[in-house]
Amino acid sequence: MPGVSTQPSIQKQEVVAMSQQPSTFKRFVEVGRVVLVNDGPSAGKLAVIVEIIDHNRALIEGPATSVPRQAFPYRHLILTPYTLAKLPRAAGSGAVKKAFEKSGVSEKWEASAWAKKLAARQVRKNSTDFDRFQVMVAKKQRRDVVRKAHFKERKASA
Amino acid sequence: MGRFTEYSVVGRKLPTEAEPEPKLYRMRIFAPNDVVAKSRFWYYLRQLKKVKKASGEIVALNIIHEKKPLKVKNFAIWLRYDSRSGTHNMVKEFRALSRAEAVEAMYQDMAARHRARFRSVQILRVAEIEKKEDVRRPYIKQLLEPGLKFPLPHRRTKSKAWFAANRPSTWA
Amino acid sequence: MNSSAPGLLSTVNITKMARSAPISRNVGRLSRSQVAAKRGLFKGKKTAKVSPKAEVATTVEKQIGGKANGEKRVIPTQKASKFYPTEDVRVPKVSRKQAGKTKLRASITPGTVLILLAGRFAGRRVVFLKQLDSGLLLVTGPFKLNGVPLRRVSQAYVIATSTKVEIADVKVPETVNDAYFVKSKAAKATKEGEFFGEGAEKKTFPEEKKSEQKAVDAPVLAAVKKVDNLSKYLKASWGLSKGDRFHELKF
Repeated sequence: MPGVSTQPSIQKQEVVAMSQQPSTFKRFVEVGRVVLVNDGPSAGKLAVIVEIIDHNRALIEGPATSVPRQAFPYRHLILTPYTLAKLPRAAGSGAVKKAFEKSGVSEKWEASAWAKKLAARQVRKNSTDFDRFQVMVAKKQRRDVVRKAHFKERKASA
Repeated sequence: MGRFTEYSVVGRKLPTEAEPEPKLYRMRIFAPNDVVAKSRFWYYLRQLKKVKKASGEIVALNIIHEKKPLKVKNFAIWLRYDSRSGTHNMVKEFRALSRAEAVEAMYQDMAARHRARFRSVQILRVAEIEKKEDVRRPYIKQLLEPGLKFPLPHRRTKSKAWFAANRPSTWA
Repeated sequence: MNSSAPGLLSTVNITKMARSAPISRNVGRLSRSQVAAKRGLFKGKKTAKVSPKAEVATTVEKQIGGKANGEKRVIPTQKASKFYPTEDVRVPKVSRKQAGKTKLRASITPGTVLILLAGRFAGRRVVFLKQLDSGLLLVTGPFKLNGVPLRRVSQAYVIATSTKVEIADVKVPETVNDAYFVKSKAAKATKEGEFFGEGAEKKTFPEEKKSEQKAVDAPVLAAVKKVDNLSKYLKASWGLSKGDRFHELKF
């Protein structure tokens, strides 16, 4: 059959091309990846993947954020865009802490919209009855200002 | 069987006048609790030696703790199990933080792949694989590659809302 | 168990009941030795002296008219009751337990803003003043803000918020106690009387209560005014609205 001999080579070329293609993913499970813990007593804190255990769990630690070294399933982790570059596999607590502080990840995290949103959510959750009342009053006042300005504008344009 | 603990069980025959100091036997047993550990000890000893629970005693029962419970290790487990048609030997490899954890994963794996229950699996040996080259199984080898990284392509997010207006996206 | 009924049986029964309530007829809960241990006779004779009672004559001789009747008759001074129970009725032991004073939740301290959950003022936010001797909470609106007068509430019908009003210097007068809240019982007007307009004179709120209310409220109001929005807050009533998850709310 003609073409039989050429086919495998084409296929092989394609396979090579596929593997060399840049991944469309941006965040990976890898040693040094900063993650957000989403469950358990450390929920809401940043940690670092120190070592990959298997396709379900990783060893994480957050020495700067007081997350103890522990195995954690990816199910309860959220990958952040930050990594600690060149963190060696299974680095000790001290090394992780140093790398974490040097990278300035926590400052970047604090400044991110994501962290602010989480913090705001926390504030809202912990607000007292009186706080909620004051928010309601403030919202009423804002509505009133907007409404008055709106009608003034309409009158002027009419 | 729930979470496992590694026990060291020491037992012997009851001393008699003819044999005032019987030979001691020690065994490392993986069991969910000490009751099961003692029971498994007699089960194995009965098969190996002419000693049984009625004519023997447990001398000591201790928990063996993992020396480095925060180090990720590769374990090989040699085991023997009864399938529906016969008895097989096997070597399986696991990546875990402790021996007990590896054994737990092994029982889960045996139940999943071979429908083998706790009672039909006998652990022959559990050993840490010190050198990378000694790892035999590809499913563990792939985790030892330098610079290993992979994405999480299918994330499930939990919505706090009672009703969702849109289908949840699983794309990261 | 008539006290006047003589005989050993009844007295024995009394001691038996106190120490060893029977499981069934003639079977005590405790064994003979247990009862003996409980009676504690081994501790020695009781030393308490019983003051001698004055002898009262139990019988009186009376003259009886009519010769056939024997002229004289001995009659007991107290007539024996005609009724006596056919079965022994056990008198329950009087309990000596006393209810202690209600313990307040740690979140309720003087000045705490409370949300009332029941009664005529359900949903109102009020200020807690102090705990009364009855264990109830003394609260005030203040009356000028939300119409809640000095009032007693059980802490079970209240949500304690974390908002506090600074009322450390507020002194609640002694006259405001549990007796203050007892309603005066007026003669009940009969239906007929009501129909004819009798007794229809309007009840007037006593002046001294009005002044007491004002005296208590004045410093509370002053403290409330120091905090922005607080008087508005006390004026507004509380309620659950759609989407509120009560178990996740913090107060």
